[in-house]
Parts: sequence; C-alpha cells; structure tokens
Amino acid sequence: MDINLQIKSLLSEAELYRSQGLFSEAKDKYHAASAMIHKIDRLKNKDSLLKAISGKIQSLEEKTAKVETGPGSPELSKKGQNLIKSLFGENDMQQAVALAKFGQFERAIVELTALLKDDVYRVDAGKNIIRCKMAIASVDDAIDQYNQWYSGDLFTVSQLETIRTYLQPILDKKGIDKPLPVPVNERAELNATADSGGIEFSMPEPEEEILDISSIGITFTSGSQKGKMVEFDVNFQSGKMLSLIISKNDKGLIDDLKDGDELEEIQFYSPIAMFKGMAVIASKTQIKTGPKQGDFCLDLKITST
Amino acid sequence: MAIFNLKKREIECKIVYYGPGRCGKTTNLEYIFKSYKKQVTGEMVSINTEGDRTLFFDFLPMGLGKIKDCDIRVQLYTVPGQIKYSSTRKLVLRGVDGIVFVADSLEVRRQKNMISLKDLQTNLKEYGKSIFKIPLVIQHNKRDLADEGIPLMTIEQMERDLNRQLKVPSFPGSAVKGTGVGVTLKACLMETLKSLQREFKWAK
Repeated sequence: MDINLQIKSLLSEAELYRSQGLFSEAKDKYHAASAMIHKIDRLKNKDSLLKAISGKIQSLEEKTAKVETGPGSPELSKKGQNLIKSLFGENDMQQAVALAKFGQFERAIVELTALLKDDVYRVDAGKNIIRCKMAIASVDDAIDQYNQWYSGDLFTVSQLETIRTYLQPILDKKGIDKPLPVPVNERAELNATADSGGIEFSMPEPEEEILDISSIGITFTSGSQKGKMVEFDVNFQSGKMLSLIISKNDKGLIDDLKDGDELEEIQFYSPIAMFKGMAVIASKTQIKTGPKQGDFCLDLKITST
Repeated sequence: MAIFNLKKREIECKIVYYGPGRCGKTTNLEYIFKSYKKQVTGEMVSINTEGDRTLFFDFLPMGLGKIKDCDIRVQLYTVPGQIKYSSTRKLVLRGVDGIVFVADSLEVRRQKNMISLKDLQTNLKEYGKSIFKIPLVIQHNKRDLADEGIPLMTIEQMERDLNRQLKVPSFPGSAVKGTGVGVTLKACLMETLKSLQREFKWAK
C-alpha cells in the first residue's frame, strides 16, 4: 500500500479508537503514524502534521490520566444510593453494608448508626461503623467513636468488648499507643476488688479476627505503576497470609514488586466490608509447572488493617 | 437468584451484560431502553460514569408480560468493564440468572475479550456457578465498523477465541445501530427461562 494511504489509514483508525474511548489503542496508532511520517523526507506539511499528532497524543495522555486517577467510588446522589440499597440488600443491615461496599461511606454510617438501636444488628453495625470511619476519616475518629460508646450505655459489656477486640489490634499494628478502655460490668468490678482467694485460670487471649478477603486493591507508590490502584483477586487465604495468582500477561503490573517490599496503601475487600491496611510481600515466585505455568504467585502478609 | 412467587405466579430474574471496557454493554441497554418501550417498566439508571465509562453499573427493569400464565419481570444490569473495578463486577454478578457477553470485534481488543471472559468464569466460580452451565449468549459487537475500514476480527476467529468450548448461542451485532441487540437479549431470556423452568417448573 502507498505510504500516504498507510498513514491516512493509521490516522483514521486512531481517530476511531479515540472516539470509542480506547485511548491506549488510539495512542499506539498515532505513534505508528508519527514514526512513518518521520521516515518520509519530502512530505508536505511534515512538521505541522507531526505537531498535530503530538497534540493528539498529549490530549489522550491527559484523558487516560483523568480516567486512571479519578475517584474509584465517588459519592452518588441519594437516588443512586437508594437504588444500590434496594438492589443489593434484602434487609436493613445488608443494605447499609451494600452502601459501604460501593464506597458510599457517609450514608452507610448514617444507616448503620440507625441500626445500633436494634440489638440483633448492634455489634455488626458498630464494627462496620468503625470500618467506614477508618476508610473515610482516620483511626482517631474510630477511637473517638469507641470512647463515645464506652461512655454511653448503648452497648452491653460483651458487645462493646467485641468491638474493642476488633479495634485494639488495628491500633497496635499501626503503632498507635492508645489502649482502649476495657469494658467491665459492675459485678466483675466488685469481684475484682474483693479477694476471693479462689483458683485463677489464665484465660486465653481473644483470637484476632481476620476477615475472609476476596480481593485487594494495591495503590502503587513507586515504579512504573506509581499512583495507580490495581485490583487483584485473592486466590487463597490463611489468616494474615494472602496468595494472589497473577497472569503472566499482567507481569508488567508487578514488575516493580520484590520480596520484603512494604505496600502501604491496600484496600481490602471482604464479603461484608471494605477496609484499608498495609502488607508486606512475603514472596514473589513464577510458577514453573502445571496449567498456570509462567504465571506469578504473590504471597502477601497483612501487617495492619 | 431469580425470585419465583408461586402464589402470584411471578418470576423476577437478573440478566447481566458482561464484557471488556468500552465493548458496548451500556449502548446495548440504551438501545433496549429506547426501542422496547412497551416492555420497559422503569427508567434506565446509569450509576455514575467517568468520561462515559461505567463506574458502578447500569440498571434497566423490564416486564415481558405473561408467559405460560406466569408474569415475567427482568432486571438488566451492566458491569463496569475496566480491569480495576473487579470487586464491583463481582457484586453486580451476585444472583445472576443469565449473561450476555458482549465481545468487541475490533482486532486490537482481541486479548481484552479473552481476559474478560476468563474474569467472568472466575467470578462465577466464586458464587459456585459454572460458566458452562449458566445461561449465556455472546454478542460480537461493533460489526458496523467494517464499513469504515477498521480492522475487525472475523466471526470465525471470535468464535474460536471465545466460544470453542462454550458452544453457546452467538450473534453479530452493532449496539450503536441496534442490529442484533434484540435477538441477543431474546436468546438470553429464552436460555434463562428454560433454565428457570428446570429449576422451578414454573410453566404449567
């Protein structure tokens, strides 16, 4: 094909891909056209053509950046939030959690707060409020919320203790030296002051709750993916250890990751809530045999949530 | 999961349009909304888009009227196609009864089609469903672009890539022009209702 026709064809392809929102594909075609134009010595308007293409590429790069750095879960209208509630939750609790799963934390907190009045939902609502506060505000807000509940009489001692044993390990792992007040009932307080002289058993430490995590979103803070959040499915979980199988086709996403790297911004998605935390790369290995040969296995250890 | 109200003889089922980003899932729903006014029972809601991209999902309720003395209601959804919205896709897929996989006919999107179909299989598996058993149809979209001289894959190529093992009904389409949109949806509904008949024995 005549080189002029080839260039024309590449440019019309690029324009179509751009109009379809396929920015990466459009950019590739513009680059190809540009390379071809460079090779032609005596082309009329060569410089202005190259300049126009360069402008198109720059505009595409800006659009790509806008899409990639745009908010993952922007605040929706009330109508949109109501639709999420009605479509993704069968009862009040599921509806509030659905809002949180779709990143509508402010409204989720309002709905969860209303559920605190219901004894059946109180503990789950409380834990999800803590998670939402940590997702949108800060750990301090979560601590303030706990202290407020501690000072009030909404929660029973055991309910509040469940919340405390959820929140305290998070604070400890973040290195925040703020021991939460342990809820005790009046009878326990009396027993503690009276010396009964009876046998004392050492009670086992409450087990730390690790939610089932279905997927994670890693925000890269360095390397070629810097600033981008990429979501990965969790293929296997054992406590705090997560294993991800990453296709060899997505190798570029994890090229910059190596054993021992700390990932400071991870969004964890579980069937009941989403929350932020950190993890360290325990190992990155390429699978040598079997149907997943060539893919990568990335083991992460959750260091804080 | 479809809801079958035995007393009222009503079935409500969920059809999800799945596929890679920018393949035309929302365009399919928009065409249905515009062209099947008699069957559409509510507004089409597109839950937030960033530069035309679906971030959450689109939703369109339809009523097919009475079939075998049973009132059939259908909820159509699309998922966000971009790779990074994996968790949203999973959420939208929950309780799905039938799927339209919209494949992009552009040659440059060949890999994206295959990645998306694989992603569908993985997400279904997490809900305990098999891609080989769930009612599924494939639409080879954007066939109209051949007229503009844009390199498209042949239907045979796309069938080899996507449908070699699945062997599900497939249709060429151009959602932007409406070609193949209705026939794709109809086929998916038929597959879905047949599957629900096996499950609920709803048809007298």
